[in-house]
Amino acid sequence: MAERGGERGRFGRGFGRGDRGRGDRGRGRGGRRGGGRREEEEKWVPVTKLGRLVKEGKIKSLEHIYLHSLPVKEHQIVETLLPQLKDEVMKIMPVQKQTRAGQRTRFKAFVVVGDGNGHVGLGVKCSKEVATAIRGSIILAKLSVIPVRRGYWGNKIGKPHTVPCKVTGKCGSVTVRLVPAPRGAGIVAARVPKKVLQFAGIEDVFTSSRGSTKTLGNFVKATFDCLLKTYGFLTPDFWRETRFTKSPFQEYTDLLAKPTTKAIILEDLDKE
Amino acid sequence: MATTTTKVLSPKEADIQMMLAADVHLGTKNCNFQMDRYVFKRRTDGIFIINLGKTWEKLQLAARVIAAIENPQDIIVQSARPYGQRAVLKFAQYIGAHPIAGRHTPGTFTNQLQTSFNEPRLLILTDPRTDHQPIKEAALGNIPTIAFCDTDSPMRYVDIGIPANNKGKHSIGCLFWLLARMVLQMRGTILPGQKWDVMVDLFFYRDPEEAKEQEEDEVVAAPDYGVSDYAVGALGLQSGQWSTQMADAQWTPEVAAAGTIPAVGNIDLSQTPVVASGDGWDAAAAPPIAGIDVIQAAGWDS
Repeated sequence: MAERGGERGRFGRGFGRGDRGRGDRGRGRGGRRGGGRREEEEKWVPVTKLGRLVKEGKIKSLEHIYLHSLPVKEHQIVETLLPQLKDEVMKIMPVQKQTRAGQRTRFKAFVVVGDGNGHVGLGVKCSKEVATAIRGSIILAKLSVIPVRRGYWGNKIGKPHTVPCKVTGKCGSVTVRLVPAPRGAGIVAARVPKKVLQFAGIEDVFTSSRGSTKTLGNFVKATFDCLLKTYGFLTPDFWRETRFTKSPFQEYTDLLAKPTTKAIILEDLDKE
Repeated sequence: MATTTTKVLSPKEADIQMMLAADVHLGTKNCNFQMDRYVFKRRTDGIFIINLGKTWEKLQLAARVIAAIENPQDIIVQSARPYGQRAVLKFAQYIGAHPIAGRHTPGTFTNQLQTSFNEPRLLILTDPRTDHQPIKEAALGNIPTIAFCDTDSPMRYVDIGIPANNKGKHSIGCLFWLLARMVLQMRGTILPGQKWDVMVDLFFYRDPEEAKEQEEDEVVAAPDYGVSDYAVGALGLQSGQWSTQMADAQWTPEVAAAGTIPAVGNIDLSQTPVVASGDGWDAAAAPPIAGIDVIQAAGWDS
């Protein structure tokens, strides 16, 4: 909220031309997430095969999807599988384009989504109104949810609490390095990556960053990239040969072969 | 080349003989390094010869994969080139797959908001170079790809490449025919011993002129009598030569009712209460109509 206040001030100084009022009003409205409005989205009609399977309840966890590298195209899939997903707007950045008739401003929203237990997502969306940008970026964040691997600093007692090894991620000029830390160290990081790591469910970590970390977009993307790599790092526990399982599209091919709502609608019309 | 020995060929050898006749073994003047393993030799004029034994093996492998898909509607067979379109349609008809002949709309495999959005489990292509768009999209959507690859075809993202000539129409037709037959044999629809009653020629591409000629031949043969009668009747009316028409008494009222009627024709018509033109609505039709009216009237009264 303090950050938003800063933005408002910058707005007034940046451009005193018309139409800024729309943006301010939008932000005021967009600050609250629509708690009551979500009722409409209950009627999710899945378009993809994966969506159908998730709606039927055949797929119980995101890990199943990760295992078969299936692309997730509908954000409701993630919502169904991770109901305790929280989101947070990291920054609303106004970006401008020069036109004949002045500047055309749009708002870029950075949203981090996570359940605090090994899943994070990052979404970036630009739109003419703040509320639309935030909504869009929440959806994109949910689509990009990634599993985060956690490990131990030493002595495997209790649950994993830190990164399994030193990992580094890069975006633009910003590089972020995560280093395993002992219990109780907490997240030793700047405000921005701290948020992301909290959402990921990492309890203790040392960080080191380089480059222009002022650019929040790149900073946040760099930490996200870093967390992506935690499961990309080959450690001896992965040496065993994989036992391949059937892809859910193959397992549930009979269920998927059944016609979707289009056929049902036609039937209704015939009956009438 | 006349073969003096008429020994019985094994099914594999019979297939290979057919492939040779269709020029499946002829590649192009260039060879992609990944296709080296399938090439037998380079001819003196620069064309690479494909080892048909390996082609047959890869066809079997592809057929096994196709037969393993439980729901054949999840298979997409595609050809952008005209030479492969007929083969693709026929193949899909006999296997139960989904054909796409002609342009592949970008985004059919990736854009879930499109109406033509399809998530297949397997993709079969005629040419990786011209059908490169579906290959790219299949890679994004975890879809295994089978393709007929020539010696110079790019093999990127192609999971099963069947080395073959994909330039000639006979070659493409022959390959799809063989593949279809193999799949049906594996499924058990065709017994291995028996010959498939569908001809190879059905899978060959037909030039539009060639196709039109064939159709014309068929049409001219069938209803000769009917056409000539109508023609005579219509021509007679337009020229106003009623004398010739009086002989064909049946036709005149009907044809007259359809078009503009001269004075003579009107008198004829007034006798028979005919409103719409139809077969058998002559003077003979009048009593039955009256009869029907009477019956209907009776029905209403009671």
